[in-house]
Amino acid sequence: MPSVSRARRVLSLSIGLPVALTLLAACAPSNPESSTSQASVDPVAGGTLVYASGDAEPTCLDPHVGGNYPQALVASQYLETLFTKDAEGKIVPWLAESTELSDDGLHRTITLREGITFHDGTKLTAEAIKANIEHLQDPNTASSTGYLAVGKIEKVTVTDELTAELTLASKDNALLESLSMPWTAIESPEALKRPKAVNCTSPVGTGPFKVESWQTQQAVNLVRNENYQPPVAQPERSQPTAYLEGISWRFIPEAATRYAALQSGEVDIIDNAQPDTIATAATSGAFGHLDAPRPGAANRLELNSSKAPFDDQLVREAFIRSLDVNSGINALLFNTAQRSYSLLSSVEPLGISEPDLFTPDVQKANALLDEAGWTERDAEGYRVKDGKRLSLTFPVSTNQSVPAEQSLFEQMQASAKEVGVEVKIQLLDLSSWYGALAEHEYNLVSAPYTKVGPSVLRILYHSDSTVPAPSGYFANNAQLKNPKLDELLTRAEETNDEAERAELYAQAQRLVLEGYYVLPLYDQQNHFLYGKHVHQVGDTTAVSSPVYYNTFLAK
Amino acid sequence: MKFLALVARRLGATLVVLWLVASAIFLAIRAVPGDPAEAIMGGPGSQASEQALAEARAAYGLDRPVLVQYAMFLGRLAVGDFGTSYSLKRPVAEVMGEVLPPTLLLASCALLTAWLLATIGGLLAVRATALGSALGSLAEIVAAALPHFWLGSVLIMLFSTALGWLPAVDTGTPAGMLLPVLTLALPLAGFLTQLLRDSLATALGSDFVLAARARGESKTSVFFRHALRHSMLPVLSLSGWAFASLLSGAVVVEAVFARPGLGRALLSAVLARDIPMVTGIALFSAAVYMLFMTLADAIASMLGGRVHAA
Repeated sequence: MPSVSRARRVLSLSIGLPVALTLLAACAPSNPESSTSQASVDPVAGGTLVYASGDAEPTCLDPHVGGNYPQALVASQYLETLFTKDAEGKIVPWLAESTELSDDGLHRTITLREGITFHDGTKLTAEAIKANIEHLQDPNTASSTGYLAVGKIEKVTVTDELTAELTLASKDNALLESLSMPWTAIESPEALKRPKAVNCTSPVGTGPFKVESWQTQQAVNLVRNENYQPPVAQPERSQPTAYLEGISWRFIPEAATRYAALQSGEVDIIDNAQPDTIATAATSGAFGHLDAPRPGAANRLELNSSKAPFDDQLVREAFIRSLDVNSGINALLFNTAQRSYSLLSSVEPLGISEPDLFTPDVQKANALLDEAGWTERDAEGYRVKDGKRLSLTFPVSTNQSVPAEQSLFEQMQASAKEVGVEVKIQLLDLSSWYGALAEHEYNLVSAPYTKVGPSVLRILYHSDSTVPAPSGYFANNAQLKNPKLDELLTRAEETNDEAERAELYAQAQRLVLEGYYVLPLYDQQNHFLYGKHVHQVGDTTAVSSPVYYNTFLAK
Repeated sequence: MKFLALVARRLGATLVVLWLVASAIFLAIRAVPGDPAEAIMGGPGSQASEQALAEARAAYGLDRPVLVQYAMFLGRLAVGDFGTSYSLKRPVAEVMGEVLPPTLLLASCALLTAWLLATIGGLLAVRATALGSALGSLAEIVAAALPHFWLGSVLIMLFSTALGWLPAVDTGTPAGMLLPVLTLALPLAGFLTQLLRDSLATALGSDFVLAARARGESKTSVFFRHALRHSMLPVLSLSGWAFASLLSGAVVVEAVFARPGLGRALLSAVLARDIPMVTGIALFSAAVYMLFMTLADAIASMLGGRVHAA
């Protein structure tokens, strides 16, 4: 099942990016390994790609509305963003041609490329930037992810046909990263004027495909945009338009059925491939595999430091040291995920890794728990202090944690028992899970978070993020309230100096890691399997959602 | 006259049941933690602003006193207005109209298949040896106990992955219907065969059958002309229940085979806490259940059997 990704608040600031005009394929293959093997076949135009998604069918195809990963996956085919990420992880212009930041850091000028047209014939002008930012900020749009991403933009002024100036309420060096996410993609301003329900079924963008029709519960039918001109020239291509005639985007919620449909050739590519399936497919060699970890935070356990027993660092470290995560990843996830020792995804250049902090050490775990005063044992062998058992509540969202991950958590539960710590796993549906967090009924939690750039650290660990939204939601699940950390995160998002930004974020990450507030597990998994007749799969957007512009079908 | 009275009584009972179901749903919704406005503004974990939530509450009447909401809720239902889906932002009735046909088709095919299999099973049982009968009985019990989820997955592995005969995903072709229909029909057929076998045994041991046999009629002839007709009564009268069980089975089968339908809509609605959608589907299912009970009893009454008072 999908993890629900959401950006909580836009971080401030600048990637001081004197954005270079270069950039070839902005959507460069993020995983060369997966796409090179078939490079020798010449592209053939034609055919419809049948895509099977394991995600819940979006209720709206416009990713401005709400804003989750399944929407990003499909919208990446028909919408494009102002900025994107190159193969090195650098933010580069896409629909935009250039951008400049004023000296005070509060005015960002964006100039668009000339000659780009939306599917409905509307020309891409600076008015579109204004209309889209306003659409995201309009409460009636009910945007969540995109809304937070553009939260610091106070107003948009159109200065000439292709240039707009964004006035910021405060410095935000993450703005270009925010504008590289499909949740802030640029739609036709004319199309945005239609009623919301209409725009939801047929959003209009500039992408290589366009939405032809949507039969709910069956398929979103995408067809090739015959007028597509890639914003950045693609000299190696034989034609400017997509090779595929179209994509039939289907929803097959059951993982086993999805894989069976791939095996029987009913579908060409599946997402949400499960660890056992990936391992089987690798052995058989019958399918291509795209491993595209999502940006933002790594998947991790967060330890609620606002209440006992995790208000005690000794207990936090003891718990973490008692677990052998790597053997679990080998045995239960069939090595399909790479172990992470970082708060950030491996695709985030500013992430730092601290493997030594997380070396399993049962002896040390026991010693730390003794030192923390949890010396007595009850009849079941669990540690007790002042008559209370050392017990941890662990709500797990069955929507976000795939079965293999749930097994991993159960293995951790068994390991923790060895040192006398009880872990109570509660499998919950998404609503109940959010409810448990809102009520602070947790000691441990795993909550995925997708966002481009290190500014996700502010969302997850700044004390502001312990203050709940009206729904009760808050992102700082470790409940970190550390003034020094807050200061580092604020300075990191305001600086215009790239080296200083990296250093400040590194300090902030060390502070969190060394305090044992978090146990990193692995990147947010994002696996695709496809038939051998599907070629050139691997280009992705800034949020690692694949784009099938370069993809073609050939036996 | 007796027949009309029966139908009138059943219709009255149906209205009472629907009112009870609607009220239970209304109460249950209020007992579930979580703000419905949140479901409207993007689902669980929404970060909608207080202003946006307030607007959603006002738009859906959630800011009124509970009793007023209840009265409005019943009033709308009385005129067939199920409201607007929180997640799809479209009228519930319209969405149900779209997803209903594929589910009705699936359930009807499954019911017919189950009847057919049960009749064949019953016929075989009559002619079977003691050992055959015991094996048949075992097969029925096993079939009746098969969970839809498991059966569907096994059928896919067998007929789609291993043999490659049938598609795993139902895209609306007749071949695609086969596995979903079988998945729904097999457990029901097992149950119905057991039922039929028992009533057949009773019928075949009864005086009128002995008399027919004594007149020299063959076993098969007696089976079809006398015993089967007699034994169909309990099977028919259970078909209302059977159809309702097929609707609930459709939730699983539609998910497994990625088939559009009411069950899949219900599953998404529950996960998204889309209250109007859940209410609409639940009420519809209750109405269908009552309708089929009434129909089955009416048919049974026409066939001349005795019908127990509702």
